[in-house]
Amino acid sequence: MSARIEIVGVSKSYDGAARAVDDIHMTIEPGEFFSLLGPSGCGKTTTLRMIAGFEMPSEGIIRVGGQDITRVPAHKRDMGMVFQNYALFPHRTVRENVAFGLRMRKMPRAAIAKKVDEALAMVALTGFEDRMPGQLSGGQQQRVALARAIVIEPRVLLCDEPLGALDKKLRQSMQFELKQLQKTLGVTLVFVTHDQEEALAMSDRIAVLSRGKVEQVGTPTEIYDRPATRFVADFIGETNLFRGELVGTDGAPALRVDGHLTLALPAADGLSGAISVGLRPEKVRLTPGGAGAQAQGTVESANFQGGHVLYRIALAGNRHVLAQSPNDGSGAPLAAGTPVSLGWTPADLVILKD
Amino acid sequence: MSRASARLGAPRLGANVMGLALLPSALFFALFFFLPIGLMAVMSFLTGNPVVMPNVVATTRHYERILDDPYYFEVMWTTVRIGLYTTVAALLLGYPLAHLMARVKSRSLHALLLMAVLMPMLTGIVVRTFAWMAILSDKGVANQILQALGFAPMQLMYNEFGIVLGLVHIYLPFMILTLTGVIGRIDERLEQAAQNLGASPLKAFCEVTLPLSVPGILAGSLLVFALAISAYVTPILMGGFQIMTLPILIYQQISANFNIGFAAALGMVLLVLSMVLVLAYNHILAAVSGQRDLA
Repeated sequence: MSARIEIVGVSKSYDGAARAVDDIHMTIEPGEFFSLLGPSGCGKTTTLRMIAGFEMPSEGIIRVGGQDITRVPAHKRDMGMVFQNYALFPHRTVRENVAFGLRMRKMPRAAIAKKVDEALAMVALTGFEDRMPGQLSGGQQQRVALARAIVIEPRVLLCDEPLGALDKKLRQSMQFELKQLQKTLGVTLVFVTHDQEEALAMSDRIAVLSRGKVEQVGTPTEIYDRPATRFVADFIGETNLFRGELVGTDGAPALRVDGHLTLALPAADGLSGAISVGLRPEKVRLTPGGAGAQAQGTVESANFQGGHVLYRIALAGNRHVLAQSPNDGSGAPLAAGTPVSLGWTPADLVILKD
Repeated sequence: MSRASARLGAPRLGANVMGLALLPSALFFALFFFLPIGLMAVMSFLTGNPVVMPNVVATTRHYERILDDPYYFEVMWTTVRIGLYTTVAALLLGYPLAHLMARVKSRSLHALLLMAVLMPMLTGIVVRTFAWMAILSDKGVANQILQALGFAPMQLMYNEFGIVLGLVHIYLPFMILTLTGVIGRIDERLEQAAQNLGASPLKAFCEVTLPLSVPGILAGSLLVFALAISAYVTPILMGGFQIMTLPILIYQQISANFNIGFAAALGMVLLVLSMVLVLAYNHILAAVSGQRDLA
């Protein structure tokens, strides 16, 4: 039922201008929940629209289920798509919206009615058949769009920021439902989002895009714990970035950031010259008091966020570090001005490509 | 002044200002629209002009004359037929262009198209009609080319074809501008969604964009139809009095026969006729696009 999508060397440029998508290679496995994540203008939506057939790649090949579909028109691709603003037909009832794809496939009326009922039941919209889209809430419209896309039993389901217009609570519950639905149907799902939390929460794998190029493809934990590039480390979650010169020996490499700060690096091969490293705030352990550990600083501000506290620590040399401590219920956060020592292990530092 | 009173005062002031702003247009319509139509309605039931004739009496003889003579039905039908041809032709010619203008990505191309559509409107109707006459008359440009190519000359004007051609040329911009506004507001992604669900581009257009543009088709057609059946200059010049329409007949009754009562009765017939057709057209299109019986 579900299909593998292979994107081979695909580029897209408009009128000879800069490339919106630049030589992308990726393989999306059958039944996988795959996210394209990046800031606006990174090429994620263009990539999705090329898979859907609304844009033609300037170069490269797209294969679905082993078949080259690069030149196949959109209406013959057999893919379901959920559009950003749902794109429900405003002049058609919910039932007619969902039935549309089946009607185009010339399915008999009785079979259409049965399938539509099933699809609407799947998205918990039974009883809304005769409403017009304009009479539904955003969340309900979203479900209709989803039902309309899955009722045709597509090989591939494409979602363009489908949850972007929903409020936070509703978005969270839809995240669970969409993920559940995808697993039940076993369909290959390509999900475009600029929301890194959403991507981390839902995806089997994520491709992080920036300026038309793939920065990294990996599981959510790989992307978060082992970001490959400076961009990924910075874009996904909070991170402390350091840049400096390699010093020390092969057995015990270190990074000299400035006169005040030198970081011990994990042992690695092939390091040389200028290097960037990332350090997640939650890996930084704070101890009140001034001595020991990797660095000393003073609390500049504390941002209480319920489950944890995010501290901004001033180091010597006008440098700042973010540190996140779990709220263990031991009382008020450390006051501004408190001297602290910062600790981490060299393995917490991730070496990043530029 | 407290904030609460300011908030209470604001909408009342706004409503007053709006009312004041509406006053000129209300006066304009009362003086130049309702009053003349009312006067025309009254005149159509009088034996003569009460301003110059002291002993006028009420009569229905103008309407009896229209009903008794099949000639007037023929004129009515000709007028409506020319209106219908003009409307259909303008719709068929205008829709593709309006669609292109609404969907074109390049701003400069859009501006160019808009200019091309509006440009003819900068020339007067009489001038444009004379230009058509130079092209279409028996010894005009079109026939000379036909003859040079070895074809027999054709009668291209002094008939309904010539009138419709002239009217389409004049009223096409109204159709295009009305349609462009409506089509431009239809989300392109709806057609893409239809294609994604398996509809060919043509099918997607027919299923989505066309039914959603019905309000524009309705508005544009009504506008063109109303303008075409009340047109006067073009039917006279392009028809050369060979084709009689209601506006020409009315003009003749006033200027040549001085029969203002009969002219007023014909005017009322034209008004009622177009109102009935407008209502019927509205009704039919609303039923067709009733949006659910299509599925």
